[in-house]
Amino acid sequence: MAVLTIKNLAKTFNVGTPKASRVLDDISFDVRGGTFVSIVGPSGCGKSTLLNIISGVEEHTSGDISLTSDAGGPARMGYVFQDPRLLPWRSVMKNMMYVQDDRSEATVSRAKKYLDMVGLAKNADFFPGQLSGGMQQRVGIARAFAVEPDLLLMDEPFSHLDAITARGLRAQLQDIWAQSKKTVVFVTHDVVEAVELSDRIIVLQPGGRIYEDITIDLPRPRRQTDPTVATLQAEVLGRLETMKAMSRTASAVA
Amino acid sequence: MTDQLVGAAPAAPPADPEAGAKRTARRRRWRLTGLVLLGWVAMFALWEYGSWWFGSRLLPRPLEVFQAGVEIVESGNFVTDFSASVLKTFAGFAVAAAVGAPIGYLMGRYNYWRAFFHDGVTIAGTIPAIVYAVMSLIVFGLSNLGPILAVALVSAPYIALNVAEGIRGVDKSLITMSEAFGRSSQQIRREVLLPTIVPFIFAAIRMCFAVAWKVEALTEVFGGRNGVGFQIRTEYQLYDIAAVLAWMFLFIVFMLIIERLVLAKSEARLLAWRPQERSSAL
Repeated sequence: MAVLTIKNLAKTFNVGTPKASRVLDDISFDVRGGTFVSIVGPSGCGKSTLLNIISGVEEHTSGDISLTSDAGGPARMGYVFQDPRLLPWRSVMKNMMYVQDDRSEATVSRAKKYLDMVGLAKNADFFPGQLSGGMQQRVGIARAFAVEPDLLLMDEPFSHLDAITARGLRAQLQDIWAQSKKTVVFVTHDVVEAVELSDRIIVLQPGGRIYEDITIDLPRPRRQTDPTVATLQAEVLGRLETMKAMSRTASAVA
Repeated sequence: MTDQLVGAAPAAPPADPEAGAKRTARRRRWRLTGLVLLGWVAMFALWEYGSWWFGSRLLPRPLEVFQAGVEIVESGNFVTDFSASVLKTFAGFAVAAAVGAPIGYLMGRYNYWRAFFHDGVTIAGTIPAIVYAVMSLIVFGLSNLGPILAVALVSAPYIALNVAEGIRGVDKSLITMSEAFGRSSQQIRREVLLPTIVPFIFAAIRMCFAVAWKVEALTEVFGGRNGVGFQIRTEYQLYDIAAVLAWMFLFIVFMLIIERLVLAKSEARLLAWRPQERSSAL
């Protein structure tokens, strides 16, 4: 069943003014429950705007977007941001509980479970300032999973981390996702990362249209050292280069 | 984890230079302690000379003041007077926080309210403390409320301005995060805004404290019925300068102890999450 359905979605900034600019154009796709979908594209292609529209922070200009929850009722959403966004004055565990609606035993143990899955169970009483950047981002990931969201939105969560830390976190994210089977929409500019993590990659081109919708059918867990993963990464990268070259020619002709 | 690989200990430097550095550091410490002691000796020497010059009736000798202080402590009634003064000071802070913090919140959160309050609060913060003391006396006459009002009037503008700064400096990304996870505005106030302004309220109170207890004592001198200022006036009327000075010194010591123990300790506890607070507590 589709958790997220988007139909002919468009977004124009500064509607009705001379500065009007269309950032998303005729976007249609749906995301089935339990899948990991990445949205990639060069900077300025509107991928962050699309994420903001899905999350409800921003309004869209036309088209339809609908979210359904498995249990019925309003869909729960979880977020992982570029930066960890933890409350510095609350312990790691209290940060986990801050986004929860209740303090029941079950909720507490669920929060603990996800904290354990990112390897930070023993740091529950630490303040965020006592953790490294990578550890803080792991708390952010655990926090988002622990609300048991119908849809988990991730906005370039590894872009501020060094390459080695980011690789470790990607492996960890794969493990957690494999165990929890949440529906994830993951925005990134990094094709290599997208191939490693996703079931499906939606490529946006400059001007905010969908260029390609690629299904990644590789066994999990995927590791970067795996040659089949590397081959596919190279192939998708190549397609993206073609797209960039074409859009450059197009804008040169225009 | 990757973090642990980094921590390989550097090779220990040869023992000799380290011992030398320690010796230098120790010598430096001794020299500093010596200078502190020398400062105290100079101060007392000047005082002794002054009381010889003016006569000890006009300016009592240090020893006389010390004896007067011992008498006050032994008599035991300093406890009631000190606690009266301290209670009035903190009651004044409480009033100032109750009035100043909401005003500061409004000023920091909404530009309209900022426009409304800004000039008034700035002027209120510029008025000399002595004027507030006199005004409080006129309003309340001989009563305990005068000193409380004086402290409140002196402190409220500082608290308002500090809280406003704190609110303006709030991390907007934490508010976005809270809204994204569906937190209510009440939760955001309690978990994001309030913790943000706590350090600013403490900064305001510590800044005001130095002024506040002097204003409190001053107001008591003119219109108190108990407290340290009241005792200073009584001794003054008896022309017992040694006792006046003794009360003053005891009060200074007492207030410094409160500043160091109560304010600094509770601040360190409330702000334990800040890395610099933790390192200073170690």
